[in-house]
Amino acid sequence: MSDNQTRMQESLAKTYELATRAFGAPELSGPRATATPQSMYAELTAREPVRDLGDGFYSVLRMDDILHLTRHPDVKQASEFLGSDRPAIPLGLDGPEHTKYRKLLDPSFTAKRIAPLEPTIREQAHQLIDRFVDAGKVDAYLAWCEPLPSTIFLSIMGLPMKDLEDFLHFKNLTLGNDPAAGFSAEQRIARRGEAVQWIQQYFDRDLEEREQEATPRDDMIGSLLSTEVDGHRLSREEILDILGLLMIAGLDTVTASLACFLSYLARHPEQRARIVEKPEILPSAIEELMRFESPVAEGYRKTVKPVELPSGSTLPAGAYVHISWSAANLDADFFDDPQKVDLERRPNRHIGFASGFHRCLGSHLARLELVTAMAVWHERIPQYRIEDGAKLTYSANPRAPHALPLVW
Amino acid sequence: MARVRVDEELCTGHGRCYALAPTVYDADDTGHCLVPKPEVPDALLEQAKLGESSCPEGAITVEE
Repeated sequence: MSDNQTRMQESLAKTYELATRAFGAPELSGPRATATPQSMYAELTAREPVRDLGDGFYSVLRMDDILHLTRHPDVKQASEFLGSDRPAIPLGLDGPEHTKYRKLLDPSFTAKRIAPLEPTIREQAHQLIDRFVDAGKVDAYLAWCEPLPSTIFLSIMGLPMKDLEDFLHFKNLTLGNDPAAGFSAEQRIARRGEAVQWIQQYFDRDLEEREQEATPRDDMIGSLLSTEVDGHRLSREEILDILGLLMIAGLDTVTASLACFLSYLARHPEQRARIVEKPEILPSAIEELMRFESPVAEGYRKTVKPVELPSGSTLPAGAYVHISWSAANLDADFFDDPQKVDLERRPNRHIGFASGFHRCLGSHLARLELVTAMAVWHERIPQYRIEDGAKLTYSANPRAPHALPLVW
Repeated sequence: MARVRVDEELCTGHGRCYALAPTVYDADDTGHCLVPKPEVPDALLEQAKLGESSCPEGAITVEE
């Protein structure tokens, strides 16, 4: 086994252990599997804001501690390897190398650069709804939340829509790290390896084609191919690593968000009515639902030196730290009445897109996708509810009901 | 007049400031906070404070 493969196995094993120790106990994993974990987080944060999980594993729940950790130079990314045996770019990197890649990538993902994608997102959202709107019922997760970010991704990357089914299949293999799926560590690593290989070959074929063309295409990959910082351009390998990361970071996250939001609004008709009456509150409503639902529930870090937290505890060097965006977003020191959903909450300084160095690169694209998709859904299907008798079970991270039967 | 200060070390480009208070805050090429006119007249004070309170990193300070 190569050095990198050993490191990857260790990293995956450590973060899996961390997740299990942090929220594996039934009194914690139980609420997380339901639609309403919020009071569990509030109670846990109040009781034990910094939990020593033994053997160098810790869990941190307060906003102030998490803000401190995520911007601290002695705190590194813990989940470096997201599929292949090269660190994910830029999520798996830290320090000057990380900054170099963020400087290269940030310009392609600003709100201004993303804005022209709105018509594409609208079109994809509508097209998927066309298939089931007249049926009066649908598993919204399967038929809309899951495929939509992938169709948008293929569109933005200039890849053919006919590849969607294959793409979804291998995308799902890449991301099978849910403890509940029951695979052994070896099985998970093997599945991921196979999937990442397929995805990278798939992108590689596309990059080969582009190399034959005289002018770069006017799309996201074209932008990545021509972007340059301090005379440095991205190599083929770097682009493959970045595209792999964009897939992992940009698909299931948006899927989970859409599913959490629809689930919430299906169960709260008075809130849904406000969105239907005043669609202009959608941007603010999306921020509040991001805060309350925190579809990406957590991140993992490790300390390379001891770190003193604002709340008073000190984490030792070499600590593996579970960071709960979910808990931080319900912190009463930062939000008035945090257990209440106010779709026009202002201010709303949530960290549903993470905080510090690894603040989500795609947050502007995500927001555009979420606001646009939810606007389209409510234009087409303003009234809906959860099918009678349906029981929703949520995955841990990203958090989502993987079956969402709606009727209208 | 109030003065808007942005701690560039803390700004990570969430973009809430320029999304909510575009009369005071703008974005640079990488999506980080840019304040074209740091001296803020009373008419724009509320917007300046909205940007300040909306920053998840606490990178903005409005000094009155």
